[in-house]
Amino acid sequence: MAALCSEFGDLVQIKKQLISVISLCKERGLLHSAKWASELAFALDPLPKNELPPSPPFTEEDAQDLDALTLAKSYFDLKEYDRAAYFLKGCCSQKAYFLYMYSRYLSGEKKKDDETVDSLGPLEKGQVRNEALRELRVELSKKHTAGELDGFTLYLYGVVLRKLDLLKEAVEVFVEAIHTLPLHWGAWLELSNLVTNIEMLKSLSLPDCWIKDFFMAHMYTELQMIKEALQKYQNLIEAGFSKSTYIISQIAVAYHNIRDIDQALALFNELREQDPYRIDNMDTFSNLLYVKSMKPELSYLAHNLVEIDKYRVETCCVIGNYYSLRSQHEKAALYFQRALKLNPRCLGAWTLMGHEYMEMKNTSAAIQAYRHAIEVNKRDYRAWYGLGQTYEILKMPFYCLYYYRKAHQLRPNDSRMLVALGESYEKLSQQLEAKKCYWRAYSVGDVEKMALLKLAKLHEQLNESDDAAQCYMLYIQDIFSCGEQLEHAEVSTALRYLGQYYFKNKLYDEASLCAQRCCDYNDAREEGKALLRQISQVRDQIETPSADLFAPLSNNNTPVRRVSPLNLISFTP
Amino acid sequence: MSLELRRLNKLILPLQQGPDLTLGQFLKAVEECCPQTAYAVKLRLHEMADGELKDMEYFFSTLPTPFSAFDSEAYKTSVVGLFMRHMLLAYNKLSFSQVYKLYKSLQHYYHSHYAKPTDGQVSLPVLVADDSDMDLTSTEDTVGDRIDREELDTPLHESELRLVMLRGPLSQKQAEYFLAKQAYLLKNDENKALKPAALQEELNNMLKFNPDFAEAHYLNYLNSMRVQDIFLSAHSLLHYFDRLILSGSEGKSNGDEGYGRSLRYAALNLASLHCRFGHYQQADLALQEAIRIAQESNDHVCLQHCLSWLYTLEQMKGSDSTVLTEDSVKMAAHFCLPYLASLGIQSLVQQGATQGKTAHKLMDALKDTDILHWKHSLSELIEISLAQTTSIWRMFGKSTMALQQAQLLLNMSSLEPVNFGVQQNNTEAFAVALCHLAELHAEQGLYCAVSEILQHLKEQFPPHSHHAKLWMLCDLKIQFERHMNEGKYHLAEPLVTAISALNKTEGLYRKAQVLKALNRSTEAYSILQRLQVHCEKTKRTEVVIRVMLSTAELHWESSGFSTALPLLLQALALARQHHLQSLASETILHLAFTQLMLGIPERALSVLHEAIEPVLAHGSLMDKGRALLLTARCQMAVAGFRPNGQAQADLHLVVLAIDTLNEATAYFSKLNCKERLRDVHYLQAQLHRSLGQTSQCNKSAMLFRLLDQELQSPAPPVSMRL
Repeated sequence: MAALCSEFGDLVQIKKQLISVISLCKERGLLHSAKWASELAFALDPLPKNELPPSPPFTEEDAQDLDALTLAKSYFDLKEYDRAAYFLKGCCSQKAYFLYMYSRYLSGEKKKDDETVDSLGPLEKGQVRNEALRELRVELSKKHTAGELDGFTLYLYGVVLRKLDLLKEAVEVFVEAIHTLPLHWGAWLELSNLVTNIEMLKSLSLPDCWIKDFFMAHMYTELQMIKEALQKYQNLIEAGFSKSTYIISQIAVAYHNIRDIDQALALFNELREQDPYRIDNMDTFSNLLYVKSMKPELSYLAHNLVEIDKYRVETCCVIGNYYSLRSQHEKAALYFQRALKLNPRCLGAWTLMGHEYMEMKNTSAAIQAYRHAIEVNKRDYRAWYGLGQTYEILKMPFYCLYYYRKAHQLRPNDSRMLVALGESYEKLSQQLEAKKCYWRAYSVGDVEKMALLKLAKLHEQLNESDDAAQCYMLYIQDIFSCGEQLEHAEVSTALRYLGQYYFKNKLYDEASLCAQRCCDYNDAREEGKALLRQISQVRDQIETPSADLFAPLSNNNTPVRRVSPLNLISFTP
Repeated sequence: MSLELRRLNKLILPLQQGPDLTLGQFLKAVEECCPQTAYAVKLRLHEMADGELKDMEYFFSTLPTPFSAFDSEAYKTSVVGLFMRHMLLAYNKLSFSQVYKLYKSLQHYYHSHYAKPTDGQVSLPVLVADDSDMDLTSTEDTVGDRIDREELDTPLHESELRLVMLRGPLSQKQAEYFLAKQAYLLKNDENKALKPAALQEELNNMLKFNPDFAEAHYLNYLNSMRVQDIFLSAHSLLHYFDRLILSGSEGKSNGDEGYGRSLRYAALNLASLHCRFGHYQQADLALQEAIRIAQESNDHVCLQHCLSWLYTLEQMKGSDSTVLTEDSVKMAAHFCLPYLASLGIQSLVQQGATQGKTAHKLMDALKDTDILHWKHSLSELIEISLAQTTSIWRMFGKSTMALQQAQLLLNMSSLEPVNFGVQQNNTEAFAVALCHLAELHAEQGLYCAVSEILQHLKEQFPPHSHHAKLWMLCDLKIQFERHMNEGKYHLAEPLVTAISALNKTEGLYRKAQVLKALNRSTEAYSILQRLQVHCEKTKRTEVVIRVMLSTAELHWESSGFSTALPLLLQALALARQHHLQSLASETILHLAFTQLMLGIPERALSVLHEAIEPVLAHGSLMDKGRALLLTARCQMAVAGFRPNGQAQADLHLVVLAIDTLNEATAYFSKLNCKERLRDVHYLQAQLHRSLGQTSQCNKSAMLFRLLDQELQSPAPPVSMRL
């Protein structure tokens, strides 16, 4: 902690670094990195004029290429990549070389995208490839072995490698790029996409720079290690980045991932106040609103985003969520499809579309959508979970076990997967496994508060009345301790069972307490009353014979072990 | 000319329906039919490929229209005409950029032939092959993936080069052909298929370009099964069915066709997967699920498949599933599913054989199914049937018949079209037949042939493959027997561990045998007792009888001949009840020996007469030798022969005994069974002496002496063993 503080102590230095890297990125057309750095720089206090960093040294080569570069950059900005590349050919400065290669890369990507949009709908998988990649790779690898690549070109080389699915090499190159130029956020981000588990993350040798903390926090979020991520972000805020919208949004996403909905909502609302025209991460926000069924807020958000930019993936997702909440699933699916048209690698949209198809009972389309989601990201637990649900709907409990297990593997501490697993096991009459799952689901913190109830019912089925009663007790405690009213709460069931249980075990005071509480619920009222009558009957039977002979001792003779608070009036010690 | 035309016409169909060819292959095929046409084609292609886009457009415009050209080959109803109509339609639908791409790919196709690669690329002919210019249907899918291989002349590592090479996309047809070929090879001759790792790489590559290619996932599943990778195979299987559900769902409801159907089979396949990995509980659950879904949708065929898996599962779990199997056969016959029906019958025959059904019943059943097989050309089942007959004959102790059946199977040419140079199928049936063959040869002491057969087995079924365990066990058993016969117990002992790893019961039995041979009777006895209890529970009659015989032998060692008798009688009854002739004759040998020891050689001789015939006809060399030795000894005893030559013996019988011993010598020397040879020579010397034939006597005595010196171990009393 102390080390961190000292690292961040010199915020001025950080700001200087940011400013210089922003201009570097801008010159090279790396817009997203520039945006990220600018956002971060904006969150820091402005520098006085004399503190502003000097512009980078201007070499002879740069001067030589200046005209070509300026021309090419303007073409580049106008998305005429081939033209830009043409005029940059033969330039020798690093900057020009990067822009040259980058234009060629982008030109290939653009053509690829054009072809994809041209012929194929979102539900078909294209086989279109970026043709320039291989040439770029050959050239870059030559330069790489010669050691002539700077930080930006290394980054580009990594991207090319990644696009060619040479992941191992890509990781190495990205690490190298980061070491050469630690301030380029794009390289970190690319690297984060390639890190699949914590062991891999630990094995990477990363430069010791303040930006590493951002990376680690991002990585923790990605790897579902939310607690660590939140800790990191908290440290960053304390170190002076409190105004950064980036950090706020990341924290909100992290809360969303651990389903701390209220916290996340609060943060998103704050974010929208600070940055009202922001579209990034708004799909996550809409997910939260959806979960909370906050129709007006979601509708407001949707309208607002459409006004800002209706051709954004996030906007489409928000609208999809909005329609889904209004049970217009066809329209919702349509918007998710549109989102996918805009970005076929948009993971969330595939999964959400799967959900919509599920709602429409179109299981095969749902399976397809989920499979696509998995293709994009194998770690998408929601898609695995969705697949499991689909097969569960198709009444294949054994088959869906595999998918739920996958989902559980990815989110070991998510109770929903465990409950789903338990339900499947229960359907397969594997009660032992089911019990384990439910208990584990309760232990990891049950979100839906269903695990205990199911566990209790299972015990009830197996005639393990003690365990069942205990579970119901815990369930009732759980329900009342969480305060809010849950729709599906079955407190009455629990009370009913507990009443009967106590009655059978001759604990009449507890039984009558439960019966009375039963009467609070419509569906259990009759039974509660009946039980109360039974109790009083039995009490009469017991107390009548003893009343004559052992009147003073009657209290000791009754099998009541503990005294119910309801009996206080008649009770005299 | 007309001949050339005829050959060209014959070529049209294979070209149209076959996989895509490289230009070289294509030109060669045409050239074989008609060199002139080949030249014309080459010229045309050259014109187009070295020209410009307009040259290709010109080509299309000059084509005869199938609707007007009445007298040409390209008239609309002809094969070529139909193809041309397809082609023109597809061509006319192309947008400008697509036409350009088509032209590009044509150029590439043409040039890739002339810029023939020199390095490792030749080794992958299927992969180097590219779209043919004719395959218009696939153009839209794959033209985007073209690679300029010329660009690749930069120095790259070989592995990288290969990797890049493999990026080369296959057209739909090529991919299908590749998959079909590999799947066929996996099924029929695994050795010819790509190595698991290489195949995996191909599939990964293929899936990267077309993730919706469901069949590739299935092949992936098969491939993972090959290397016993449960994780990957389950993953691929489920993925395959996920994909299949997509492709099957178009416009079809949850009925017989469409994805409802694939759901059922998905569950069923999952069951078979778990079954193969020995997860019986999981398999059971999956099977239940398949059955339930099939029942709900009234799919009797699927239900039948489920049922046959159900009894297989029960069998694997070791419980009796006869009733289930019978049901399955009845239902399968009812629904006209010959494959399942006769599979069920075969399974019944197997169960019947172990439960002591008579041979003729089993053979009848097999014969009936055979008729069915030939009618429906179910070559797989014919093979199984033959292998089963071999096993049954062997079990009943008719080695000649078994030999004949095994040879029949091995010499039978497969009914399936033999493709891709597959000589012999590597199915379980072949493995079983070959193992039997090896064991039969070993019994006759033909160890040279045995090693050849085993070598073949090793090549055909490499150690990692599914059926390799069969020959491994067979090999070990043969080695074990050989060492035991030669009296090299110290060599036999380490084999026991290996046998136990493959088959626990067999291992225990062998262990008892070694212990017995090493005179560690107490240990041997306890093992045999345990084994008997276990095998009686699992109804493995053959082992039970063999255990009883071994136990009886142990009794002999403590001279408990009378205690051995009831055991032997029990064994005999069991063997007769189950029609196990070889075991029955062996039991009779034991019985005769016991009687001899108890001093009733006449009885022994008469009992022996019953057994000697089948032993000589079907028994192994060892059995024959032992039987003859025993006969000779009985004859000597009956003749009243005494070693010291005091009593007057029946000379006629003594001569007979000498003959018998001579015959036994031949058998034992073939097996190199020195201990028994020593016994034989000893007896021979005595007999010759009693007849006064001194020279022969001396010769036998010398042989005895030589062997005795060689063996070093003190000779056990001659009388004490069979």
